[in-house]
Order: sequence, then structure tokens, then C-alpha cells
Amino acid sequence: MRIDTTRFGVVEIDDSSIIRMPRGPLGFEDRTSYCLIQHRPDTSFRWLQSTEDPRLAFVVVDPSEFFSDYEIELTDADVERLSLESAEDAMVLVIATVAENGAEVTVNLLAPIVINSKNLVGMQVVLQDNRYSVKHPLATQSKGDCSQETADSHPAAQTKAA
Amino acid sequence: MLVLARKVGQSIIINDNIELLVIEVRGDQVRLGIDAPKSIPVHRKELLEQIRAENVKAASESDVDSVSKALGEASDS
Repeated sequence: MRIDTTRFGVVEIDDSSIIRMPRGPLGFEDRTSYCLIQHRPDTSFRWLQSTEDPRLAFVVVDPSEFFSDYEIELTDADVERLSLESAEDAMVLVIATVAENGAEVTVNLLAPIVINSKNLVGMQVVLQDNRYSVKHPLATQSKGDCSQETADSHPAAQTKAA
Repeated sequence: MLVLARKVGQSIIINDNIELLVIEVRGDQVRLGIDAPKSIPVHRKELLEQIRAENVKAASESDVDSVSKALGEASDS
């Protein structure tokens, strides 16, 4: 299948590699069909490109490349939506945001994209876990711990049992 | 929007299978208990708003080259 993209021009993709999201990522719920594009060969970052909207693409990365202790727990609802039969079938990607000046890269650890590698059904999962941030910085991080609360943590996440 | 007044200890039942219980009121904060089937996601609204905003920001990069450069540097660290 040929798809049009604003960043990469016309791209030829394998139909069997298309990722279906019954509901698209928050803010883009009506964009339900995507493919993964490896734009540069020497990087673990890839682009999750909408096959429906040429302008829509997210930079994504496997969080285990950067974080040794990133663990996600899926609710029964998530597992059901993905038809996940085994944890091993789950492919986890986090969305990276690059600041306008290009100096800062952050990843959203609170709402990863989870894809069932068996049927290529995916969704953006909102974790119940308060430890993780939507803007976890990457640039100065070597592979390490990501579960400290950062200054960017949502204020609600700071409250423990009162 | 349906508006109901509840006292501490009172509940609201939604859709026959979701219960919202007012547990405590302290100053301007209300502590709510939510009893819902595990298949139904429950989240703080502002959290979803925050994620939505971050998605929009993440999707708005336009210059592939400067993005690749920034990511290249992040990869190296």
C-alpha cells in the first residue's frame, strides 16, 4: 500500500504491517490506522505514521532502550481491548516529544502505546501508576531509573494516602 | 449534565454497575470512591487532558532533520 506523508513523501508499506487502533491516541481518536517507519537506520527511534492523515506522525521508542526499571501494568480493560493472550505479545512504545529548539527530548511514560504483536492491534494505555511522567527527560539520561517523581509529575500524583 | 447533591456516605449509581461514593469532604477536597467493573477505565480528567496536550505537542514537530538531530544526541547519551 502506498501512503502519503508530509515528512517522508510517498511511502510504500506492507499491508500486513499496518497497526490498527480501535481508538486512536488521545486527541486523535479518529485516526485508527498506523505504520511504523524507520526513517534513519542507526537509531532506535521510529515514527508511528498515520496512514490516514499525511501530517500525523509520532516519534516513538522502545522504553527499555533507556530505562531498565520501566514496568507497566495493564488493566483487564486494556488486555481485553488488545485481545492480549500473553505479556510477551505486548510491544511497548513511548511517544517522544522534541522541544521546539531541539534541545530537549522527553518521553511520555504515563501513556505508552501498547501493540499486540500477534494481531497488530494497538492503543494508547493510560497507566494507573502515579510514578510516571508525561514528560520524562531523555537527553542527559543513561540507561537507568525512571520512577523518581520529577518536577513535571502531575500534582495529583504527589498525594499519597492522606 | 445531571447535578446531584450528596452528603458524606451517600452514593450515586451509574449504568447499574458503577457506584460513586462520597467518602470524605475536607475543606475544598472531596474524596470519592469508585466501584466499577474492571473493564471500565477510570481516570482523573486533568490527567487525560495532560496526555492529550502532550500528544498534540509530540505530533506537531515539523522539521524531520532537527528532530533526527535531537534524537541522535539523545541516543548517544
